[in-house]
Amino acid sequence: MNLTGFVASLIADDGTAGWPSRVPARLDAVLDSMPLPARAGVRSAARALDAYAVVRTGRGLAALTTGERESVLASLAARPALLPLLDVLKVPVLLAAGTEHMLQRPRRAPRPVRTDPPLDCTPAGEWPDRSTADAVVVGSGAGGAMAGRTLARAGLDVVVLEEGRHHSTASFAGRAPLERFAELYRDGGATVALGRPPLLLPVGRAVGGTTVVNSGTCYRTPDHVVERWTKDFGFVLAERLGPYLDETERTLNVAAQPLDVLGRNGRIALAGAEHLGWRAAPLRRNAPGCLGSCQCVVGCPTGAKQSVQLAVLPDACAAGARIVTGARVRRILVDPDRPGGPVAAGVRVRREGGGEFEILAPLVVVAAGALQSPPLLRRSGLGGHPRLGRNLSVHPATSVAGRFDEPVTAWEGVLQSVGVEEHHDGGVLIEATATPPGMGSFVLPGLGAELRRELEDADRLATLGAMIADRPSGRVQGRDRTLLRYDLDRRDGDRLMRAARAMGEILFAAGAREVLTGIPTAPRARDLGELDAVLAAAGPRKLHLSAYHPTGTVAAGSDPERSPADATGRLRGVAGVLVADASVLPGCPEVNPQLSIMAAALAVTEAHLER
Amino acid sequence: MSTSGSDAGTGPGANRGVSSSGPAGSAATDRFAGSGTHPDADTVEADTTGAAAVGAAPSATARSAPGGAGRRGTVFDETMLGTVRLDGEDHARRVRLDLRVTTDRVLRPLGTTAARASGRIRVAGWADDADAAGELEISPLARRRIRYRISFTADGRRFTLDGWKSVTPRRPVASMTVLPFTLYENGERAGRGTLRFPVATGLAPFLASFRFPRAAEGAETLMTPRWKGEPGRTEVWYTTLTDPESGTGLWLHHELTAPADGSEPYAHGWAAVFPKDGPVRHARFGPAEWTPGRTGFTAEGVEAVPGRLTGSAGALRWDLTEQGVDAPLFTFPRWSWRRPLLPAAQILPAARASYGGTFSYDDTTLTPTAAPGASARIYGHGNARRWAWLHADLGDGDVLEIVAAVSMRPGLRGLPPLVFLRLRRGTRDWPRRAERSAVGWAGLGRFRAAVGLPVWTVSGRAGLHRIRVEVTQPEDRTLALDYTDPDGSPAVCRNSERADAHVLLERWWFGGWRTEAEWTLDGTAHAEVGTR
Repeated sequence: MNLTGFVASLIADDGTAGWPSRVPARLDAVLDSMPLPARAGVRSAARALDAYAVVRTGRGLAALTTGERESVLASLAARPALLPLLDVLKVPVLLAAGTEHMLQRPRRAPRPVRTDPPLDCTPAGEWPDRSTADAVVVGSGAGGAMAGRTLARAGLDVVVLEEGRHHSTASFAGRAPLERFAELYRDGGATVALGRPPLLLPVGRAVGGTTVVNSGTCYRTPDHVVERWTKDFGFVLAERLGPYLDETERTLNVAAQPLDVLGRNGRIALAGAEHLGWRAAPLRRNAPGCLGSCQCVVGCPTGAKQSVQLAVLPDACAAGARIVTGARVRRILVDPDRPGGPVAAGVRVRREGGGEFEILAPLVVVAAGALQSPPLLRRSGLGGHPRLGRNLSVHPATSVAGRFDEPVTAWEGVLQSVGVEEHHDGGVLIEATATPPGMGSFVLPGLGAELRRELEDADRLATLGAMIADRPSGRVQGRDRTLLRYDLDRRDGDRLMRAARAMGEILFAAGAREVLTGIPTAPRARDLGELDAVLAAAGPRKLHLSAYHPTGTVAAGSDPERSPADATGRLRGVAGVLVADASVLPGCPEVNPQLSIMAAALAVTEAHLER
Repeated sequence: MSTSGSDAGTGPGANRGVSSSGPAGSAATDRFAGSGTHPDADTVEADTTGAAAVGAAPSATARSAPGGAGRRGTVFDETMLGTVRLDGEDHARRVRLDLRVTTDRVLRPLGTTAARASGRIRVAGWADDADAAGELEISPLARRRIRYRISFTADGRRFTLDGWKSVTPRRPVASMTVLPFTLYENGERAGRGTLRFPVATGLAPFLASFRFPRAAEGAETLMTPRWKGEPGRTEVWYTTLTDPESGTGLWLHHELTAPADGSEPYAHGWAAVFPKDGPVRHARFGPAEWTPGRTGFTAEGVEAVPGRLTGSAGALRWDLTEQGVDAPLFTFPRWSWRRPLLPAAQILPAARASYGGTFSYDDTTLTPTAAPGASARIYGHGNARRWAWLHADLGDGDVLEIVAAVSMRPGLRGLPPLVFLRLRRGTRDWPRRAERSAVGWAGLGRFRAAVGLPVWTVSGRAGLHRIRVEVTQPEDRTLALDYTDPDGSPAVCRNSERADAHVLLERWWFGGWRTEAEWTLDGTAHAEVGTR
């Protein structure tokens, strides 16, 4: 269906500028990358909007004048119940519009910091139907890369299977962010956890996994989290995590982000925190030589960010590991009749272009991520543990923006630059996060002309994000397709409200003229008092929420009843299956989890090799 | 006659006694039982070595024979066609793989079976190796995988084909017939391809090729004592041979008797020599204490173990080596040796054997070399009521073994003798089933025996063949010995290792019988007749 009228209404295309006319085509491309339900939802909503216009005016949206469209939208916006729905519709439109708008502006051509080290990647179509290996690693993200490197260095013949493709730094530098967006994320970035409220939970899918598209923030696992994992869950490997975290930091060249390319968004956060006397500092990141391209979430175009396909997998390949891309593991093959019980025998893999191949290996390392590992185990007949797929922890997050008099140009600088840890003890971690236009979790307020104004003034906005340490209240269901359920815990709702307020405090302290709350019914607050009133009236479910960092769905621990994996990361009920990704973490890591996942994967594989 | 009866075995000599009665008939049995060694003709191939054997364990004794008594293997042929693309080439080559797959057990459809494979692989313009060999892992349901690893030579280099069929219930035929594989040279990939089992043309030959041969069982297994402590049993190892140089017949009899009254078992036996130009003489050894747990018979310095016979009795002294040159022969049905339901059963661990060494008596020393003969085993309750036995080496690898016996058991002792006749020609035994000659078709068409002295005869017809055997035991070449059954009853055995025999084998051909083969043995047949 033609989206022209729909887009023209939402962003008030009056024909005076050229870029809005290119948005519908861009939106089509965005929708095509999304899963069917999301695609169908947006298109149906567009149709419904068009039908409403026909009923109201006798003509479709495309045939209306700008003023008539405004009146149609205004009549809809007058119904508060419709506002959250319209907000959801705005997300893909803003993604397309933001990109087109940004393309208007002159761009610095990113310079590569260094060339990519070589990887031994084979597309699935060229991989033989039958092969053998000493170990198969399912997934090439933070956990899989580390496991693959460890096993390869121990002399094993390792094959790493990755559902996504390999993207080089050069391929990132050569294309617009939105074009990369659809390829790098599972479901085009539209992975949703059902529940109250529904959460957008984007996860990466590429060689390097989510580390290709994360912000590069590298926190060590906090001591109290390690202690909880050890004492409450009996995850004995956590005791040895320190040296593994050290090794991971060395591998990734983790260092505090220098101030030079921090960007104004980060400086505003620092200034606000300083004014309040709060603990804040540039984040520790794995991006030495970062040029502040602000494109972390669609793949670093300069190669500065040391995601695992640049920092870990090349070492694994140098040690003999091979990576197969476009390979989705259908099931882990199990020999049920071995003496001593079932034993993993290999994997059956579906090729991207159709067809299957199999690899026999006595060791299978599951590192498909917390959302994909449980369905994989269920498909393989290994999903019998009642806690498998439960215990899903995420970091629910919200963001607010502050409008400043001076241009902020948040997309010039480091994407996630400054951490404010004042409230971390209360489970709230604030990070100054700016994204390329439309790609952040913050949704601009308004419809039609108002939204258009916001879009064109977006360079005056500074955005902060806050994530909270949650109670594990989600679960991963499904065998072939992942189905997520997540219901926000009451305590976590309170934390989110505290986080939103704290971010408002920082922005006002830094001199913001107004704060955009992201709440559809009350999008603006001009001072702290007004913000408090808005938040009090709204409640956590009205906030615009997203979630990151899913963990804990195949938790390791000493209690066979509670933990699908044993204390050293071996899946219970079968021999020869290791869990080495975010799903093995027994609980919420409370910080950006890349280092925790990599160290845990290292610990799990080292423990296996020691046996 | 087992139980009741006592006596007499016929053994080649004297008493060996076994008893036995045929199940079926009653008669039969004497000691021998056995059946042909080879499994049936059909399956013969399978036991490639010919030695197939079966087993040994009587039920009563419940010995679990090493390697499983009577365990069967599986053999089948499989041919697959397909293509392979070698690394570095831009075209596919046609492949044909012909395999003979052998396993040591019957295929387990629900489990996993390891198998050996050998055969020929042909790759167009590149390889033709008739000595391809490797292994299979056959697990269509448990592991849902049938894996082939076949090594072969091409261009003077060694390659391995490694692939597996991945069985899925969604596509049963395709997944059971398509074999994707990868070629390796020294562990490095050298090519990939796919083989397919051609269902339309290949299924019938594939199914028809299935055989379940009994696993080859060594003579050692068949020589191991069967007795496990039951009272009222007798177990015999006996050997008869003819020294071709001097024409002398020899008979060694080793017997374990466990009396029916539960008293201590004892080992005893005798040796006898039948010189061409002198009187028959014999000497007994024992009784001696029986030590269980040995291989074969060992008592009081007398040994009958696989490959060797040594000992002395009176003035007789022997030290012989034995080499089996044929597969085991089960004179009685094979099952009757595995499960001793008959009063007794007899087998030959090797239908023919070759002997060398020395045998001395008085002041004469024989040094037979490659002397033909055979060893046999009997296990059962005692001797038959009446019996006759013949072992005739017909030359050219042909052997005739006959046991005709009347059981001691009440109700069976009134029947005519049951005849167990096994004629081995090449690798085939006739009649195919050991029961055929004894009971025919519910008694109809059974073989007949006229047991007497000095001449006794056996005749019968099975299929398109009929046979007539006439055995003559001249009195001057015959030794009479007293036997004692486990229950104490006596029997008399008249044995000659220099008997004469005439065997006529005829085949029916368009309304008439034509002679197919005729053998006359002059002093080289081994025979005996037992009576009460």
